[in-house]
Amino acid sequence: MKITTIARNTFKEAKRDRVLYLLFFFAAGCLLFSRFLALLTVGDRIKIIKDVGLASISLFGMLMAILMGTGLVYKEIDKKTIFTLLAKPIHRVEFLLGKFLGLVLTIFIMTGLMAAIFLLILFLHTFTVEWKILLAILYIFFELCLMTAVALLFSTFTTPILASLYSLGFYLIGHLSWSMEMLIKKVKSGAGRAALQVLYIVLPDLENFNFKTEVVHNLPIPAKLLGISFLYGVVYTAFILLLAMLVFRRRDFI
Amino acid sequence: MSSGEKLLRRQRNLIIFLLIGSLLLFSWLKHQSDRVARKKVPGSSIIYLPSGKYLKHITFGYSSLVADIIYLWAIQYYGNYEIPDRFKYLEHIFSIISELDPKYVDPYEVGALIAVYEAGDPKLAYRILDMGLEKNPDMWIFPFQAGHIAQMQKDFEVAREYYRKAMEIPGAPPIVKRLYAHAAYRTMDYQEAWEMWKEVYETAQEDWVKEIAYNHLYRVKSTVDTTALGELVKKFREKYGRLPSDLKTLVRVGLLKEVPKDLDGKDYVYDPKTGEVKPARVWWKR
Amino acid sequence: MGKVLELEKVYKSYKLGFIPKKKPVLKGVSFYVNEGEIFGYLGPNGAGKTTTIKCILNLIFPDSGQITIFGEDSLKPKARRRVGFLPENPYFYDYLTGREFLTFYADLLGLHGRAKEEKIDYLLKLVGMERAAELQLRKYSRGMLQRIGLAQALLNDPALVILDEPMGGLDPIGRKEFRDIIVNLKKEGKTVFLSSHILQDIEMICDRVAIILAGEIINQGYLGDLISEKVLYTEITVAGVPEVDFRHLGESVSSSSDRVLLKVYEEDNIEKVIQLVQQKKGKIVSLVPRTETLEDIFVNMVKNQ
Repeated sequence: MKITTIARNTFKEAKRDRVLYLLFFFAAGCLLFSRFLALLTVGDRIKIIKDVGLASISLFGMLMAILMGTGLVYKEIDKKTIFTLLAKPIHRVEFLLGKFLGLVLTIFIMTGLMAAIFLLILFLHTFTVEWKILLAILYIFFELCLMTAVALLFSTFTTPILASLYSLGFYLIGHLSWSMEMLIKKVKSGAGRAALQVLYIVLPDLENFNFKTEVVHNLPIPAKLLGISFLYGVVYTAFILLLAMLVFRRRDFI
Repeated sequence: MSSGEKLLRRQRNLIIFLLIGSLLLFSWLKHQSDRVARKKVPGSSIIYLPSGKYLKHITFGYSSLVADIIYLWAIQYYGNYEIPDRFKYLEHIFSIISELDPKYVDPYEVGALIAVYEAGDPKLAYRILDMGLEKNPDMWIFPFQAGHIAQMQKDFEVAREYYRKAMEIPGAPPIVKRLYAHAAYRTMDYQEAWEMWKEVYETAQEDWVKEIAYNHLYRVKSTVDTTALGELVKKFREKYGRLPSDLKTLVRVGLLKEVPKDLDGKDYVYDPKTGEVKPARVWWKR
Repeated sequence: MGKVLELEKVYKSYKLGFIPKKKPVLKGVSFYVNEGEIFGYLGPNGAGKTTTIKCILNLIFPDSGQITIFGEDSLKPKARRRVGFLPENPYFYDYLTGREFLTFYADLLGLHGRAKEEKIDYLLKLVGMERAAELQLRKYSRGMLQRIGLAQALLNDPALVILDEPMGGLDPIGRKEFRDIIVNLKKEGKTVFLSSHILQDIEMICDRVAIILAGEIINQGYLGDLISEKVLYTEITVAGVPEVDFRHLGESVSSSSDRVLLKVYEEDNIEKVIQLVQQKKGKIVSLVPRTETLEDIFVNMVKNQ
């Protein structure tokens, strides 16, 4: 199938990206270093390793998703490899989806590797393997898939640097949804409040994928939220990809 | 329109249709996710912040900005009464703020007030104000406030010590001397408190001192007013067997000459179901 | 013989600059290509050749006008099912080997198994890249890239092959080989659309041409119709006769120790020159009639615009 062919090719191209390995190196460094951070702070050592570890995987995974996502499509357009590709009897949409799947596969593998290192470090400290940690990492991965789609969207119409900045902005907005909720409570009801509420619902809420607190502090994770967050991720990712399709299908390749 | 253009148009319409559909769907899902309760751990993000000393290095020269952000967050956090366990890391949080921006006056003052009036821990308040004085030896308001708190706790030894410290700092108003003298034998009553803060307000050279004094004045007046109104409401109930529907009723029956307003000029909040009278705002929040 | 490719009144402008200013690139381009012919699309650099090709391949969307390929609207992907394309200055994924590169496109086109392998082998042989098939594309020279690019264009056995400046950067041998391949494609019944600004190549192999200048087609038709067989002048190289003697018969282009190169315009004068040489016991080294070339037509047309 055309989409899988492009996905495989994208994966081949992505794993040659040196930035990926640089970020992975930093992530591994952070994971190893978390042990030493414990000495500087007030809390429980294991909790800190877990917290820092999950945060590192989340942060570096996000950087990977953004840098790769914005770079790959732009490179194809800039280097004109895209001409021969799109001259074939293929829908532009198939090209986009293939690129997306290839990137997701790459992110999946990188996340898996980081998770393996993290679990190893934890095992060396606690001699147990907590499956809840894997759950938190799984949902981090879902968040990364959404970020990949966002990076892809921005790369369809702007340069890699701007696309990266916009993607970063999306990430920040996504994690500040709670502050908007607080703000709305303080605004008097009226047109302004209604507008803010619409914005609040439509803007992404990436905290839905964040189960770090529950996992680190051994709090229960409501199963209902797991289901809702997963669906939210799938639908929002689809939304972003549809936007990307809308932009990409009519683009002139001068 | 050519057949190709028709096809493109149909595709575009399909995409737009799916876009709107997915937008509605994820909006609904978001709404659902908000309804699921999630346990919050108080200050969970902040306790793993390294102590202020190290944080200062990480913030690359933006330490006062970071201090601002943390302070803003702390105010919202401590103003939110739903978190019962929120004072556990009060000292840590405010010590971080003081490390990041030692000259920032508000956090010391507010931190101490939260410690005393919300957490009920005056010793913590003293520690915070001591931190403030240590970083800002010219701020007489810190030991002054500590003395005030000690006096309210009827701990006159401590109060006298703090007033002495405040007195020795150049720029302290004359009232501090008098308080130092009286700390040994007089308890604070509202009249005294009002006079004290009024003098501070009138002799203050800086705006921020005026503001602190104003907030204290607000508190004194609102305490006096709400207590009095509460008493009158009780009297009304004893007389008429029910609670008044609003405060103006008290004027009509002659129990009150006129309904007082708070220092901002706003009305007090009266709950006809419980008979409670409350001030319009939390006195230390600006 | 049907029309394989047809363009009707295609307009396209680019919006350039911060305050978008419309820059017209194609101003009502119309032409058609018949089945089984080699069609030449010529024009100077910047005339709009590549833009036209991109419009045909749906890489660029025209502002107005209609393009049909094998009767299908070019906006639909299935119109390109029987089309092969080799872009100008081809870039490909440089970390793939030649064979991997062709395999990727073959997969995309739905070829698999034995048929796929055989096709790839056949095409590698056709373009002469068998030995370099296992080398990474990054190590290919310009000429090699051009050849592997042509192989890629032929993967789906296209009925219409579109080549954008295919002979740029090739040495004379390479160009001859390419010309031969193109002529062979025609023999196989394929139609070839060839854009170039090198007129000699076009002249040698094309049946019909269209000339584009500043976004407009200024002429199109069969080569034979465009170029008259008229002799412009005759070049005669003579030995053993001094230049002076030919003064009134022709224009002396150059003269060395004993050779003179003459340009003779009138037909009668040719006879006179031959007689004169015989008289003076000289020798005619060569006699070449110069007919009108495509270049002449082209230069004239450009001058007239």
